[in-house]
Amino acid sequence: MATMTNPIEMQELTNHFVVIHPLDDVPEEKVDTETLGPMTMTASVRISLLSLRAYLVLMMILVFYHVLDLAGLFGHHS
Amino acid sequence: MNNKFITEPASGVETEVVPVRGRVVKSKAARNLLTFMMVFGPGLIVMVADNDAGAVSTYSQAGAQYGTHLLWIVLLLLPVTYFIQEMVVRLGIATGKGHAAMIYQRFGRWWGLFSLIDLQLVNFLTLVTEFAAIDLALNKLGVDPRIGVPLLAAGLVLIAVTGSYRRWERIVVFLCMLDLVWFAIAFRIHPPLEQIVRGSLIPVMPPGGLTPDLMFLVIAIVGTTVAPWQLFFQQSCIADKRLRFADMKWARLDTFLGACITITVAGCMMIAGNASHVHGFTFTDPAQMAVDIGSFTNGFFKNAILLMMINAAVLGTTAISLSSAWAYGEVRGWPHSLQLPVRKAPGFYVVYLVSVAAAAGLVLIPRAPLQLIILGVQVLAGVMLPSAIIFLQLLLNDKELLGEYANKPWNNWVNWTIIIVLFILSLILAAQVAAPNLFPAA
Repeated sequence: MATMTNPIEMQELTNHFVVIHPLDDVPEEKVDTETLGPMTMTASVRISLLSLRAYLVLMMILVFYHVLDLAGLFGHHS
Repeated sequence: MNNKFITEPASGVETEVVPVRGRVVKSKAARNLLTFMMVFGPGLIVMVADNDAGAVSTYSQAGAQYGTHLLWIVLLLLPVTYFIQEMVVRLGIATGKGHAAMIYQRFGRWWGLFSLIDLQLVNFLTLVTEFAAIDLALNKLGVDPRIGVPLLAAGLVLIAVTGSYRRWERIVVFLCMLDLVWFAIAFRIHPPLEQIVRGSLIPVMPPGGLTPDLMFLVIAIVGTTVAPWQLFFQQSCIADKRLRFADMKWARLDTFLGACITITVAGCMMIAGNASHVHGFTFTDPAQMAVDIGSFTNGFFKNAILLMMINAAVLGTTAISLSSAWAYGEVRGWPHSLQLPVRKAPGFYVVYLVSVAAAAGLVLIPRAPLQLIILGVQVLAGVMLPSAIIFLQLLLNDKELLGEYANKPWNNWVNWTIIIVLFILSLILAAQVAAPNLFPAA
């Protein structure tokens, strides 16, 4: 194995394979997310996400209550 | 030579483009192996770090309470954890950006803020459990936690602030490999092989039936095996490492191998819990379990389990703190990369430092019910998971964003099944907490 630093030399190597660490490679072009803007969401998707949010808040309260109950804070867990 | 400057999408800063440096090999096999070795890291780390201190507690408690009866659940979680993280791999490689950034960009500030608050809340609580476990283990090792906890916290900060992603990754991969000691521990306690095979392959209801405690533990197992921070961590890690489209298959393999290791190690933890129960010990926490196991093996295994607990907590802490720091950096538009020195990304490193220091400070408060806190946090992660996966699912179906890398119909079937099962589990928990006699014990 040898270390190469010149990309032109690398292209000339036809019988060999060059492996480049992602951090040493030239950054490649990715999906351009900046120009896309926010996703279009239908009313039903918005309502579903809001319901999910409400459900999550309720579940968090429930878990905290259950943990405090298990810790014996309400004095009736065996 | 005058090099070109470009703005990195992952870190948000201008960096110098230097000539590429590669390794030349003479065969396809060597190329594949070397490419895998270079890409390997984020998948293994996210999976092994998932077996954090909370996981050690949860799996060993499951083993101590229900023997090998819940092993099938852990095995079932192998494809679940892989499928979820594989989506993150696609999203990370295609966009070159972190998960928090994607939620902000595609769902807007309002939803982005909710996701970030959820993440930071669960992350902080989870970090407290990591240091709680370190505190427990240090006590049993005879080390004063008032010295040991700050020292470990300082070490955790030092491994991240070197300004080199690769250096951080090498240290963390080494720590991940130490996790394999769990195999030796499980082997040494003479596991009941027939019971293990049966418990892994045949789903059965443990003796006692469907009780709130069992449900709580099952959700905790799910919550610890597939946690919300993992989505954020792996995507940001992939973005920071600048994985390329050509790396996709190797990143998937990395994730799959990591999933196999983490699930097998989780099984070993359950087997350890089972062994302490079989020898007549009552489970209180994994540190006490280590002492109990030491009493019928030898001191080496006691210390090995305690050190593995600390290792699990260290891995969990670095990964979770980084997921917080990356997410914050992405959302605030701060430079956020392990490749950057502290002076170029101060906000990113401050979030990491504060995450570690605040959690470390909190556990030094005496007499907190640590095992209950640990289990409670895993459950909280479990109930918050469906919400996190739904955002991931919506992003992965965003053809405008991902094109050919968007989910296929079979991906969606698998993911919606996972989401529905998670919802059902959390609803059963809710029902049992609200009406404890709804599902009487068998």
